[in-house]
Amino acid sequence: MKRRYHVAAIPIRIVLNHFGDHNPNGMMYVLKENEKKVKELVGKNPCSPVDLVQPLVIRANEGDEVEILLENKLDFHAGMHFQEAEYDVHRADGTNVGFNKDTTVAPSGSILYKIKAAGEGTYFFSDLGNPSNGERGSNSNGLFGALFVEKRFSWWTNPESGKPMNSGVYADIHHPLLPSFREYGWIFHDEMEVNDLTGNRPIDHLTNQETESFHGANYRYEPMHNRQKLIREGIVCPNCEGEEVHHDSWVYGDPASPIFRGYVGDPAKIRLVHGGVKETHVFHYHVHQWFSDPKNLDSEIIDSQSISPQSHYSIEPLYGLGSLQGSFGDAIIHCHLYPHFMAGMWGINRIFNTLQDGSQSYPNGVPIKPLQPLPDRKAPPEPTKEKPGFPNFIPGKVGFKAPRPPLGIVGGRGLTELERQAAIPHPRPGAVFVDPCPENTPVKEFNISLIQLPIIYNKQGWHDPKGRIYVLDEDMEDICAGRKEPEPLVIHAPAHTCFHINFTNRVPSILEGGVFQHTTRTYEASMHIHFVKFDVLTNDGGNIGWNYDSSTLEGETIRYSYYADVELKAWFIHDHLFAATHQQHGAFASGIVHPRFTTFLDSRSGEEVDHGVQVTATNPLIPDYRDFVLFVQDFTLLFDKSGKPLNPPKFPGSQDDPGLFGVNYKNEPLQFRLGTDADPAYTFSSYVNGDPITPILKAYTGDPVRIRLLQGAQEESHSFNLHGLRWLKERGDLSSKLEDQQHIGISESFTLDTYIPRSGDYFWAFETEEDLWNGLWGLIRAFDENVPDLIPLSDRPKPLSRSKPLPEPNGTKPPKAKECDPVSVTSGPVRRFDIVAFQLPIVYNDFGDHDPHGIMFAIKEDMQDILKGVKKPEPLVIRANVGDTVEVTLTSLLKAELFPFKDGIYPYPQVKEQAFYPPSLRISLHPQLIQYDVKTSAGETVGFNDDQTVGPGEKVMYRWFVDSQVGACGMWDMADIHNHKSHGAFGAFVAEPRGTEYLDPYTLKPVQSGANVILRHTFLPDIREFVLIMHDGVRLLNKLDELLIDPIAGILLPPHSQEKDEVDTYDEGSRGYNYRSERLINRYQKHPALHDLFSSKVFEDPATPLFESYAGDPVTIRLITPAERRRSHTFHLHGHRWRFDVKDINSRVESFVGFNIAGAVRNLELYGGAGAYQKHPGDYLYRSGNIQWDIEQGMWGIMRVHAQSQKHLPALKE
Amino acid sequence: MGRKKGSRDTNTINPAGTTENQLKDKELVNHFKRHIGRKAFILTEAFPFMFIGKIKKVLDDMAVLSVETTSVPALENREWSVHIHSIEAFYIEKVGSPKIPDLNGGGGEEPL
Repeated sequence: MKRRYHVAAIPIRIVLNHFGDHNPNGMMYVLKENEKKVKELVGKNPCSPVDLVQPLVIRANEGDEVEILLENKLDFHAGMHFQEAEYDVHRADGTNVGFNKDTTVAPSGSILYKIKAAGEGTYFFSDLGNPSNGERGSNSNGLFGALFVEKRFSWWTNPESGKPMNSGVYADIHHPLLPSFREYGWIFHDEMEVNDLTGNRPIDHLTNQETESFHGANYRYEPMHNRQKLIREGIVCPNCEGEEVHHDSWVYGDPASPIFRGYVGDPAKIRLVHGGVKETHVFHYHVHQWFSDPKNLDSEIIDSQSISPQSHYSIEPLYGLGSLQGSFGDAIIHCHLYPHFMAGMWGINRIFNTLQDGSQSYPNGVPIKPLQPLPDRKAPPEPTKEKPGFPNFIPGKVGFKAPRPPLGIVGGRGLTELERQAAIPHPRPGAVFVDPCPENTPVKEFNISLIQLPIIYNKQGWHDPKGRIYVLDEDMEDICAGRKEPEPLVIHAPAHTCFHINFTNRVPSILEGGVFQHTTRTYEASMHIHFVKFDVLTNDGGNIGWNYDSSTLEGETIRYSYYADVELKAWFIHDHLFAATHQQHGAFASGIVHPRFTTFLDSRSGEEVDHGVQVTATNPLIPDYRDFVLFVQDFTLLFDKSGKPLNPPKFPGSQDDPGLFGVNYKNEPLQFRLGTDADPAYTFSSYVNGDPITPILKAYTGDPVRIRLLQGAQEESHSFNLHGLRWLKERGDLSSKLEDQQHIGISESFTLDTYIPRSGDYFWAFETEEDLWNGLWGLIRAFDENVPDLIPLSDRPKPLSRSKPLPEPNGTKPPKAKECDPVSVTSGPVRRFDIVAFQLPIVYNDFGDHDPHGIMFAIKEDMQDILKGVKKPEPLVIRANVGDTVEVTLTSLLKAELFPFKDGIYPYPQVKEQAFYPPSLRISLHPQLIQYDVKTSAGETVGFNDDQTVGPGEKVMYRWFVDSQVGACGMWDMADIHNHKSHGAFGAFVAEPRGTEYLDPYTLKPVQSGANVILRHTFLPDIREFVLIMHDGVRLLNKLDELLIDPIAGILLPPHSQEKDEVDTYDEGSRGYNYRSERLINRYQKHPALHDLFSSKVFEDPATPLFESYAGDPVTIRLITPAERRRSHTFHLHGHRWRFDVKDINSRVESFVGFNIAGAVRNLELYGGAGAYQKHPGDYLYRSGNIQWDIEQGMWGIMRVHAQSQKHLPALKE
Repeated sequence: MGRKKGSRDTNTINPAGTTENQLKDKELVNHFKRHIGRKAFILTEAFPFMFIGKIKKVLDDMAVLSVETTSVPALENREWSVHIHSIEAFYIEKVGSPKIPDLNGGGGEEPL
């Protein structure tokens, strides 16, 4: 069917909260029918939020043809670019790209877009007429929205009135066959301009500096600094501090940010969209869990998830609102990155247990708007005086902090009469309004305290004098006395356990301030938990909305109760009252719910245990396994041995990335591991430097291993890489793809289920440069013979008796790795590559931006042509087929004089805690995902493995085996991660199906390397393979040899008052694809028209790879991000879609892929091939989804789909 | 590539006129019948995947089990009918053979 929407793009004042914070230069898409009304309402209400001012959400059904007439009332060319949709790229792309027709629209003009809603899902749309990223850009100011595509035959109604509706972020969706559900749009966005009521930038009343930049959802935010001012001014809650009541509706009333309303048990779908420009956020939704891919029942169950700019997910909470236990009350939804949470990026899912017909009020007298029951569900009971329903039975006092839950505090109060009426028949501590534990569930009790103590992070004495950690009470004395090393608390239990927790707050009521933080009265603490089932009113460990405050005062003990219904991953535990203040001091922990019937042993002694970051798990039904937990941390507020603060912020209380990093309260910075000859190549060697202080996970060869990956603190993305081991992306799904890298944000939890194929030291790291530099790495040590401090698994063969002594550190370089043994299979073809590593200047675009100190890998026979300029430098891409053994001979031709900073200090892009680390003349080549013996062929010198790097003029040979069609793999140097990688010391390896030949797409001759090839196979169609290597942190100079340092405020449309601030270290450097970058500023200076910047009619084609094909050609894109900064990038290809998990036929199908960060690899098989199913020829933009700062800085290119035969491009074989 | 139903490749007919598969199916049912009263450990492809319990009776090709343990606690301590030919793997406890672990800690009886 055809649907038509008339949309206007208008300038609008966006008031973001009840405090009058606003964006005077907002922009929005709005239905034409609402344009006049919204303008009038905003005119009448200049200082308060207007409901109609919200991101435009329109709806259609799958299979619909959707026509959008866009009228542009802005003063620049604007457009609407739709993700996921299929359309004629000449008519409906919403951009002006390559040789396409311009489908942006001039001011006062209009354009008709026709798109096809191919499948159910979220079709994010935004403007690309103005791709600038600063305050004058369109996206940061609100010019985005979404088309929600429902299942065929659906219709939708207004949740308040029950009447049909044309637009709106909330709707009830109905279907003749399927259950009705609540649909909630949650559209994150960031970096919007915000002024306060006075028209100035809001000032934080504590720091007296500008507040954090905008972080909100649906054009709203509710920052702490506004609310806290009401306390300081004596208007509310005189005894409160601030953070502990930030979300408390008893104190402040409800926030302006989104409140999703529903009844207990209602099916619901949250359309989670990131419409912002910069940050990767972590969406967390209390009480509920969902499948990471709602279309795939084998996918992981999660309860928090990262989301990077211009990407989206559908969240369908399992069991509906209130989850399995049917909990009612307020479940907070927030970005888990604490600085964003504090800045206002949160809302509430309000779950009522009584009918709301508009006649009721909240305790503060604000009327409760009506809420239609879903038509196919029994309406909840009407409220009565005896049973008024949530929240009106709670004995709170408006203007004061929420009360403690009944029965919770040891020695505390019981239930009031109204509470008794609302409670279950037999309430008990922690289970008052629902009991999550079924009868006769085995109970496990833990006594846990939060304590404060100094924590020493490394051998050099870096320390946090005010560490705050969770401990079991039985360990407290030993830890405080130094007899036990502090480590994050991890409790273990099997599924079907009822947890009884006695939590005592033992931290001082005052967290003393200093260079990092202000003094804060942290007088309350709690244990908020993820994944397990609980009563949100009494057990959330938070103080949310109209709920109780389920925390404790200093010295008090509160009782919580949870139920683990099934095997769960590591569930996150943290304080929810002062998390932004002290979680970075270590206040995080975890519980792991293992398969039923599992018991846990100390891996050294074999004694039964119930907590610890490393345990051995034994189970009568499934193989025993080693269980290891790694928590990554940032914002770690450390001092060196002499008491000097490390990376302090510019002023106390600043959230501008203060401090350093840790993993399980430890770090092993590279600057301290140079050895006597100061060669970075031996940094990771335990022979030279001893083992790192960071966790060494121990196992025997053949042991199954589960690594639980968590992030304990605080704001940033991290990229975990494990060299030589791999796991299924979806643990429970054998059709899932193999991974050896995982992006993680705070509160996410991943179980990496793997096993140890061979003995040796396996390297793990959070492998963006700055993380690794500051010590986030360690080892998995796999023994082939018995060691005294590691029990064997009960169902594995006993390890052999020790025949040789264990290696010891000796301060000398490790021996050169022996000639490698064949990996495991000696049959099959051997493919040999003679590779050289050398230096040369690399020119990144036609405007003369260049890296004079490039380092690249190349096939030896190509080197001279590259140096002479006959061949253009591009990252080395080699391939082999499943069953192939790969022999790589690597020769180093690096020359000391060609390195830029021989003094050992690398000034830009820099890393936090800069130090002497001179360039190594050695180099190596490490591959991802394929098989090799880590002792000889990992391409790195790690632990007690032998030396696998190579010095100038030397050669080293690696032998790899391709056992699986893993597709894209990154390759990079591991000899010097500080001085080599960002100059280009990386490439790609692609594992293809057995029997594949690789042909040059222009000559059809076989090739040994190259980013653009045709794959020819007897049983498969010819496929065009385009390899895109996305990289950042590049040190580029312009044609005048001036260093390119991009300002924080953007370069295309700099603000009128130029800010002096520079970007954070992890955003420093230039960026692009395959050693090319098409920086928009170069084009803008030549032709200052924003909407023309992608046009090849105005300019030449961009310098980034131009991938050509014919309409309908099968195309696979291999996307690899080997280097190197901590900012994660989204990738989007216009007009095309692919399966998220290339191996899984049930996978969701999308047109973006997020979290491209060091080590990420993706295989994108385009649905319908080039031009998608409708085979529209034209130029399709591939690009980053991060408007800030990627697109401006050159992360874009063109995939050209020809309609007619081209002389230079042979057609694929039929 | 499909295979013809009942072709000799997959379903060899023996002199008595029954196919090997029919014989195997029948014998499997008889095997369960012979062990009525004994404790069985059964894995199935379908939810809930695992059963431990006493074989109470066999009705046609359905084994009726008094289930002590499954992968899901809510489904325990009740009677389950399991289609014998949907069983992927099983073990029946006998005197002198290894005991099926007592996972719920209830003690368990001696095998018959």
